[in-house]
Amino acid sequence: MEWHSDIGPQYEGEVVRKEDLWIEFGGPKVARKFELCRLKSPEQIEHEKVEIIGKDINEMEEGGSYPIAIIVDVAGEQLDEDALPVLERRIHMFASYIEDWYHMNQRADTWIRVNKTAAKKGWTTLKEFGEILNFLYTSEMDIIEKIQITLITDPDLIEKLYPEAKAAYAARDQRVLTLHDEDVDTFYGCVLCQSFAPTHVSIISPDRIGNCGAINWFDGRAAAKIDPEGPIFAIPRGDLIDPTKGEYAGANQVERERSLGTYDRVYLYSAFEHPHTSCGCFEAIVFYIPEVDAFGIVHRAFKGKTVIGETFSHMAGETSGGRQVEGRLGTGLEQIRSPKFIQADGGLHRMVWMPKEIKERYRETIEAKGLWDKIAIEEDVADVDQLLKWLDEHQHPWLMGQVELPT
Amino acid sequence: MAEVVKELTRKEKEIRELIRAEIPWEPVGPTPMPEIADLRSWDMRLLKTYKPWYAPFCDLCCLCTYGKCDLSQGRRGACGLDIATQQARIILLACLMGCSAHAAHGGHILEHLIEKYGADKKIDMGTYIELEAPNIRTVTGLKPETLGDLKTVIEYVYKEITHLLDSTHFGQEGSYLDYESKALHASMLDHVGMEVADIAQIVGFNFPTSVADTPLVDMGWASVDESKPVILLVGHNPATSTTIIDYLRENDLYDKVEVAGICCTALETTRYSDRAKIVGPLSRQLFYVRTGIADVIVTDEQCIRTDMPIEADNVDSRVIATLDKAMYGLEDATDWDTEEIVKQMVEDKKHFAILNTKKAAEVAAKVALKIAPQRKKRWITEEEAIELAKKCTNCGICERVCPNLINIGDGITELAKGSFDLIKEQFNQCIGCGKCEQECPNKVPIFKIMQVAASKETWKIRAGRGPVMDTEIRNVGAPITLGTIPGVLAFVGCSNYPDIDDVADMVYEFARRKYIVTLTGCAAMAAGMKKFENGKTVYELFPPEFDAGGVLNVGSCVSNAHISGAAIKIANIFAALPLRANYEVMADYVFNRVGACGVAWGAMSQKAASIGTGFNRLGIPVLLGPHSSKYRRLYLSRKEEDDWTVMDARKREIVDSGEPSPEHLAYVCETKEKAMVMIPKLCIRKNDTPQGRSIKLNHYISLYKKYMGGGLPEDVHLFIRRDADIPLVYKKEVRAYLKEIDWQPKEPVGLPTLIGTYPTKVPLDAVIH
Amino acid sequence: MAVVPFHRVNVLTGIKASRIIEDPVQCADLILKARRPLLVLGAKLIEWSVDGKLALEYALDIARAARIPACGTAHVKGKMVELGVSPDSVYDVVEIVNALKDPDWRGVKKEGNHDLVIFLGVRSDLEEQCLSVLKHFAYKHLRTMTLDKYYFPHANYSLPNFKKDEQWGGFLEELMANLRKER
Repeated sequence: MEWHSDIGPQYEGEVVRKEDLWIEFGGPKVARKFELCRLKSPEQIEHEKVEIIGKDINEMEEGGSYPIAIIVDVAGEQLDEDALPVLERRIHMFASYIEDWYHMNQRADTWIRVNKTAAKKGWTTLKEFGEILNFLYTSEMDIIEKIQITLITDPDLIEKLYPEAKAAYAARDQRVLTLHDEDVDTFYGCVLCQSFAPTHVSIISPDRIGNCGAINWFDGRAAAKIDPEGPIFAIPRGDLIDPTKGEYAGANQVERERSLGTYDRVYLYSAFEHPHTSCGCFEAIVFYIPEVDAFGIVHRAFKGKTVIGETFSHMAGETSGGRQVEGRLGTGLEQIRSPKFIQADGGLHRMVWMPKEIKERYRETIEAKGLWDKIAIEEDVADVDQLLKWLDEHQHPWLMGQVELPT
Repeated sequence: MAEVVKELTRKEKEIRELIRAEIPWEPVGPTPMPEIADLRSWDMRLLKTYKPWYAPFCDLCCLCTYGKCDLSQGRRGACGLDIATQQARIILLACLMGCSAHAAHGGHILEHLIEKYGADKKIDMGTYIELEAPNIRTVTGLKPETLGDLKTVIEYVYKEITHLLDSTHFGQEGSYLDYESKALHASMLDHVGMEVADIAQIVGFNFPTSVADTPLVDMGWASVDESKPVILLVGHNPATSTTIIDYLRENDLYDKVEVAGICCTALETTRYSDRAKIVGPLSRQLFYVRTGIADVIVTDEQCIRTDMPIEADNVDSRVIATLDKAMYGLEDATDWDTEEIVKQMVEDKKHFAILNTKKAAEVAAKVALKIAPQRKKRWITEEEAIELAKKCTNCGICERVCPNLINIGDGITELAKGSFDLIKEQFNQCIGCGKCEQECPNKVPIFKIMQVAASKETWKIRAGRGPVMDTEIRNVGAPITLGTIPGVLAFVGCSNYPDIDDVADMVYEFARRKYIVTLTGCAAMAAGMKKFENGKTVYELFPPEFDAGGVLNVGSCVSNAHISGAAIKIANIFAALPLRANYEVMADYVFNRVGACGVAWGAMSQKAASIGTGFNRLGIPVLLGPHSSKYRRLYLSRKEEDDWTVMDARKREIVDSGEPSPEHLAYVCETKEKAMVMIPKLCIRKNDTPQGRSIKLNHYISLYKKYMGGGLPEDVHLFIRRDADIPLVYKKEVRAYLKEIDWQPKEPVGLPTLIGTYPTKVPLDAVIH
Repeated sequence: MAVVPFHRVNVLTGIKASRIIEDPVQCADLILKARRPLLVLGAKLIEWSVDGKLALEYALDIARAARIPACGTAHVKGKMVELGVSPDSVYDVVEIVNALKDPDWRGVKKEGNHDLVIFLGVRSDLEEQCLSVLKHFAYKHLRTMTLDKYYFPHANYSLPNFKKDEQWGGFLEELMANLRKER
C-alpha cells in the first residue's frame, strides 16, 4: 500500500510543535470531540468504507483546530461488547503509527496534531487517515470480519452523536467496576516474561491485573482471541476452591503445567502460603513488615529507601525470578483499586506505608475506605520504629485490632 | 542438580583463597579465574557455527629467520604453519596487544591511585549500582571491594597474557581454531582489564557514576580558546590529565589556561572537569597538531603519533612524554629540577620525557604560560589556502597512498579555483594519517589547506557516565519483553571509517527508532560531530538514560567493559542467574537471549580487535566497517547451511530452530546504508516474544524498504516463527509472500540454550536456575 | 616485472600475482569459456560515472551481454530496482565470498558452484581482501577476475591500472561488444 506518509511503531510519540502544526483535531481548544468503537451486525457495515461528514482537510486552514469524531464500526462472530474498549484504544496506537501525525488521549479527550510535513508530502483528505486505520485494523485482527470508519468534522452532528458515545463509555466503566472473578468462567494466563523467569505464569482475572500493569482481563481476552497459540492464553477457571484466598482449580492446573513443575497451587488474593509468582517487570512490590505485622507497597520509580531500609531495586532482587515468595508480591499498581487485593490478609486495611506519589494517585480509593490519614508516607516516617509510633498515634485500624479477616 | 564432590588441586585452593570463595554472595561457579583451555569447549561451539573467514593481508609469514615463507595455495611454512593458522596467530597477537594495552593502563592507574589512597580504598559505584563489576565477578569469581582487590584481578590478567603470548612463538599452536579460542580468551580478559581500569578511574578520580544526566561538554577545535595558553593531551591515561587540572586549580590558573584533549584522554578529562575541551577523535590528531594551536602537547599512551616530537618541531610546539610506553628517544628529565626543565623547553625548544605526573603537570603549565604569548597561533585564510592549493598538479599520488582512497588532488584543485564543497566533503572522510602530504611531489601542504575545510562549529557531547545502573537494567526488562525496545546497540571503536558522518547518522536513525544506543571512545566523539534538527547533536536530541531512544556516552575505550557488563547484568539482575565464576552460562544467556549488537564502524587498532572479540565470546555480534576486512578475520555463518539447533531447556529436547540469530558474530559491511539494514537483523534472538520479534522485524523490513528499493528481505521468512511475529504494518504483504513460498509455522523455543548441544561441564539446569 | 596497484594499500606481499588482461577480446573469451560465471556488483557502482553513464549501467550491460547472474552487494539492489531490474541474489561481498569458497555450495542458481567470479565496483581495499580469501581458499575450484579500473594482485585476472576513466570505459564497451558478438 502506498500512503503519503510512512507508517510504523517508530513514529509513536513524535510531538508536533507549534511552528510545525498544520491542522489540529480535537484537543483543549475544541469543545466537543470523541472517538468511539461500536459493535454492529455484518449487514450494517460496508466493509472498509471510509465516510467523511463535514469539511475535509483541503477545506481547512493551516494552524486551525477542528472538532472531530472518529467512529469505528466493527462486526465479527468473535467480537462482543467487552472487546470494544480494546479495539477503541487501537485508534491511539494506529494514529500514532502514522509519520507526521500525533495522537494523544482517548474517548472524549481525543487530540490529533498533524505536521506541516504531511502537507508537503501531499495529504489532501481525511479519507486516507480512515483507510490507514482500516488497513491496520484488518492487518492485526482476523476477528474483525467487517469494518467501516466514519470521520465527522461537522460540529452539529458531533454534538448530536455525543450522548451515544457518553453512554457507551459509562456502560463500559460500569462493567469494569461490576465485573468480578466470580462472574466469568475464563481467566487468562501470560507467559511473556518466561525467558527471564522460566517458572512464572501470570494469572489475569477481572480483579487481578497482570504484574507489569500492562495487561488486564479485557486485554488478555482480546489477545488470546487474536493469537490463541500465543503467550497469552485462556484458562478455564475451574472450581472455586477457596473464595477468600482466591484458589481456583484452573489456575492451579496452569501453574502445574507452565511453571516447569515448580508450583501447583496459587492464591490470587493473598501474600501468604501460595502467593502469586513475580517475574521481573512488576510495577510495584507489596512487602510484609514483620514489626507491625502489616504491609507496605513501593513502586519502581521510587528512588530512596523504603521504611524497612531497602530500596525497590534491592527488594526486586529478592522478589523476582518467577518464585512464590511469602510476604512479597510483585504486582501491578491497579491492584490497589481491586476489591480482592490481598483480601485474605486484610486488603488495604492492612496497608501501613506507601510512597507519597502512590498515595496521591489512589487517593479516591484510600479515602473511600477511610484510610487516608492512617497510612504513612516517606515524609512521615524514616524507619520501622518511627512507623510503629506513627501508626499508634494515628490509630491504624489493623494495629487497633479492628480489622476482621474474611473467612 | 547433583553435587560433584572432587578433590581440589593446590591451584584451585589458591584461586579460591584469592577470590574469597568462603564469602557466599553467590555460589562459586565452575570456572573461577579460567585459564586457556577452561572455556575452550564454549569457543569451539561458537566457532562451529561462526566459522572463521580469513582474508590474508599478506601471503607470507616473516616472523622468523627461516622466512619469508610463502603460504599461498596450501603451502606450509618452515614450521609447518598454514595460511589460516598464521592469520589466526596474528589475530591472537593483535588481541594480546589490545588486552595488554588496557591491562597495563589499568595497572598503571591502580599503582598511581594505591600510592595516593592506599590499597584499602573502597569501591563505591554510587547509590544505583550494587553490581559494581560484572566482568570481574563473572570471569574471576571475586567481588572486588577495594583497589587492592582490583590489583589481584589485574595480576591474573597479566599472568594469562604471558601464557597466551607464549603460544604465538615459533612452533606452538597448529590449529587455527585453537588460536581463535586463545584470541577469544585474551579478549574476554581485555574486558576484565578494562573494567579494572575504569572502576579504578571512577573511584580514584571521582568520575561520574550512578548518574545518567552528565554535563554536556564542548567538542571541536573551534571550542578551544586560542587566546589562552593551550595544553593539548593526546592518549588514553588520565593520571596526568587529572593532575594537570588539579595543578591549575590549586594555583588559580584554571581560568587562564585551556586544557584540550584528543582521543580517549579527552573523554576522561571531561569526566573530571566539564570545562576541558574535546578536540576530536583520533582522525583529527595530526590535523590539529599541525595547526600549531597547541603550545604544549602532553602524551601518555596508545594511539599517539609516534613522531610527535618531529611534528611538534615543525610548528614550534613542545612535547612532554609522560609514560614509559612512549618516550620517543627523548631525555628522561623525571628527576631533574623543574625550573631547569622549563628553561630548556622554553629557550632551547627541547622536548622531554617526564614520568612523574606532578612534575609533568607543573612543567606543562609553566611552559605553556611562558611560550604562548610568543607563539603565533592562527588559522589560515581562504585566500591563503587558494594560493597554496595552486601548487597542486593533480598527479594523483595522494589518492594512491590514501588509506581511505580519497582523491585529495581533486579537492585541492577545486579549492584552487575557489570552490570549497569537495574539500569539505573529503575532510569528513580524512582519517588523518598524513601519507598524502608525505608523498606529494609538489610539497602541497594539504593539512594546512584543510584548515579552511574544517568546520568552525562546536558540538555538544555528554561527559562519559560510566556503568549502566542496576535500576536502569531493571526498568528495561518489561519493555524489551513487551517489544517496545527493539535492541541495545553499542557504537564503539576508532575513527577509520568511510565518512565521519556515518556514525552520527546511524545513531540518529536507531535512537529515533527507540533502540538503546550506547557509545564509547572515538565513535562517541564522531557521533557528536554532526548537527541535526535545531542545530543539535544526538546527545542533545535524545535522553541520556539506558532506556528506549536513549543515547549514552558510556566513556572512553576502557568504558567498553560497562557495555559487556550491562549484558551480564541483564542475565544476573533480570533473569536472576548467578554469575560468579560462571562465564559460560552468562555467555550462553547473552548469546541466546539478549538482543544486543555492537557497531565498530571505524575499527582500526589492536584494542578494537580485542574489544570486539571479547564481545563475541560473550555472545554479542559486532558489525564492522569496510576497513575491518584488513583485520584478516571475520566470524560468519552460512544461514541456509549452518547448524541452528539449540536445546530447548523447557522441554529438555534439541530443536532445529532453523533461525540464524544472530546471523554473524563479526561481520563487515561495505556501506552505511547496508549497515542500517543489517543492524536490526543482528538484534534478533530466538527467545523473542511475538511482540519483541515483530518490532525487530518492523525495523528490519522498514530499513530494507528504504535502502534496497522496496519489497521484502530475501531471508525474512527465516525469522518468522508464527503469524504473530509479523509486524502489523507489513502483515498483509508478508502473509502473501509466506503463502507463495509455502512457509510453515514452527514453535518458538521458550528457553533456548547451547548447553546440551556440545560437550561441556555445565549442567542444563544451570541455565534455568 | 611487478605492477603496483593504483591504491598502494593493495600492494602485493607475496609471490603469486594476477595476470593482466589488456585485450577486451581475450577478456570476453575468458568470461564466455566459464561454465557458471557470477558477477558481483559493489556499492561504488552507484557512485561512479564514466562518460556521464552510471557505472552500474555498464555492469548491468555486461551481465546482459554475457547472460551472467549478478549478485547485488551492499545496497546496490536499491538502485537496481530504480533502474527496473533485480539482482539474482543479494549477499554482501564478505558473504558471497564465504559461499564461493565452499566447493560444495550450489551457487546462486542452485545449479552448482561457480567457476569464475567477476568483481566490479567494490571499494578497492575491500575487494582486494575478498580476492585474498578466494586466492587462498578457493583456488582449487574457482578463478577470479576483476573488471575494475585498477590492478588487483590477488585476482587470477585483472585489468591494468587505467590512467583515465575514458580508457576504462572504452575497454568495458569493447568487452560488451565482444561478449555479444561471440555469443
